[in-house]
Amino acid sequence: MSTDESNAEVSLLQHLDLRQINCLNEAEHHTLKGIVESKNQNATGAYLLSDADEQLLLNIPFNQSVKVRAISIRSSSPEQAPKSIKILINRPALGFEDVEDADEPTVAQSLELSPEDVQEGKVLALRYVRFQAVNSLHIFVASNQGGGDETRIDAVDIFGTTVETTKSLSGLSKQEE
Amino acid sequence: MPLEATMMIIDNSEYMRNGDYQPTRFDAQADAVNVIFQTKIDSNPENTVGIMSMANKGPEVLVTHSKDLGQVLQAIHATSSKVGGQIEIPTAIAIAQLALKHRENKNLRQRIIVFVGSPLEGAAADEKGMVKLAKKLKKNNIAVDIVCFGDGVEEPGADGKSVLKSFIESVNSGDNSHLLAVPPGPNLLSDALISSPILSADRTSSIPAELGGSGGDAGASGSGGGNQFEFGVDPSLDPELAMALRMSMEEAQAREAREQAGSSSTPQAAASGTSSGSVATVAPAAPVNLIDAEDEELKRALALSKEEDVDMDAQPASEARTAAAGDAAMDEDDDEEAQIARAIEMSMKQNEESSK
Repeated sequence: MSTDESNAEVSLLQHLDLRQINCLNEAEHHTLKGIVESKNQNATGAYLLSDADEQLLLNIPFNQSVKVRAISIRSSSPEQAPKSIKILINRPALGFEDVEDADEPTVAQSLELSPEDVQEGKVLALRYVRFQAVNSLHIFVASNQGGGDETRIDAVDIFGTTVETTKSLSGLSKQEE
Repeated sequence: MPLEATMMIIDNSEYMRNGDYQPTRFDAQADAVNVIFQTKIDSNPENTVGIMSMANKGPEVLVTHSKDLGQVLQAIHATSSKVGGQIEIPTAIAIAQLALKHRENKNLRQRIIVFVGSPLEGAAADEKGMVKLAKKLKKNNIAVDIVCFGDGVEEPGADGKSVLKSFIESVNSGDNSHLLAVPPGPNLLSDALISSPILSADRTSSIPAELGGSGGDAGASGSGGGNQFEFGVDPSLDPELAMALRMSMEEAQAREAREQAGSSSTPQAAASGTSSGSVATVAPAAPVNLIDAEDEELKRALALSKEEDVDMDAQPASEARTAAAGDAAMDEDDDEEAQIARAIEMSMKQNEESSK
């Protein structure tokens, strides 16, 4: 991990592509869209809840390439908070069967969240080198802290930088022949 | 308007040779496939439909996501010579799920429509396994509709449940999955489908709810025929016609209401009797008001002209004359003569002044 983490910690939520965002196994009225719609860390009462079982698959596309440095996941219910998660990048056609048995390096990173991590929504640093050209981020929640059938997430935040693109073409000039 | 990628799984087992549906089970199914395809494609231009068969030598994908009716018809035609074997619902659904997963447009919701015309055997008859499969589909956000007919119509068990029914109940999320059982009879399989909740969302999506566009519940009563509907037409069979009928009725009602309101506000008209008379009375009312308004304006003009007359003495004589002429022109018969008299008087006065 680099030491200059703090200077580039910008929330990437404002670069979300809201139309493409989706989440598998979300409950009908507690969707992922509900907690990221404001493009800020969720402060409303809305939360994301799993439906058939405890697993969730959050598909978070960005409207440009980004570098992801850290994420934070907050859940106000200690029992229903996510525990083991797997993070993948740039896999738009992802299903549960693809990720259930997958391990690093197929997934970009696997994480075990402690109860404190999720309760306060601690910022968790990721392996920066593996998240260099992220067009879409996929977070697979495999289990929750309590082992019950419902997983609840109150807020998600993603930190990083946008990939530098050519901002101005004025520096370019026609080559002399 | 549902934005959907649909995969239809057709039954091509030996049971489909039975002739209890017109003309045969397989052809009735082909007709139903055609209807579903058209409805899905018409409801949204981005929708795609695929088709696969699930008997003979094993489930086989015939057409992946397409908007081309020709391909579907060709696939059905090719399958009609490959009727045989037994159906494998769980395998077929797993394959359909895979086909749906690789759709081009990820914004499309996924739907599988299964035709079952054979009795359930093997893995498909195992309720536990089917419910597990249903949970998996629900988790992956896939809706499933099942159309059972012929031998596919199940006898409910002791608790009133059947395998397919519990399957649909498990996969259902937000009322997006349905089970339709069509027993043999004079009605076409496709007609039963059109009026069913499976297609009602697609058929009525362009029609507002207050004009009968809600679908769903209307479809439940469908296919019974008879004349229990409002206009003698089943609104779910032809939503556009139903909407047109309802709109014209509402317009007529609004017109009647307006006429009644008009006749009650003018009691003389009510006394005249006929309803056609009341329409006529509305028209004269406006001219009367107009005349009032004109009178008002006239009075004001008169008052103005009089004021100017009062002021006139202070004005230079030449201006006064033109003003007086203007006044004369503006005023009407009642005091025209007085005005003329005054004008003459004034011009005389002016003459006197100029002669001095």
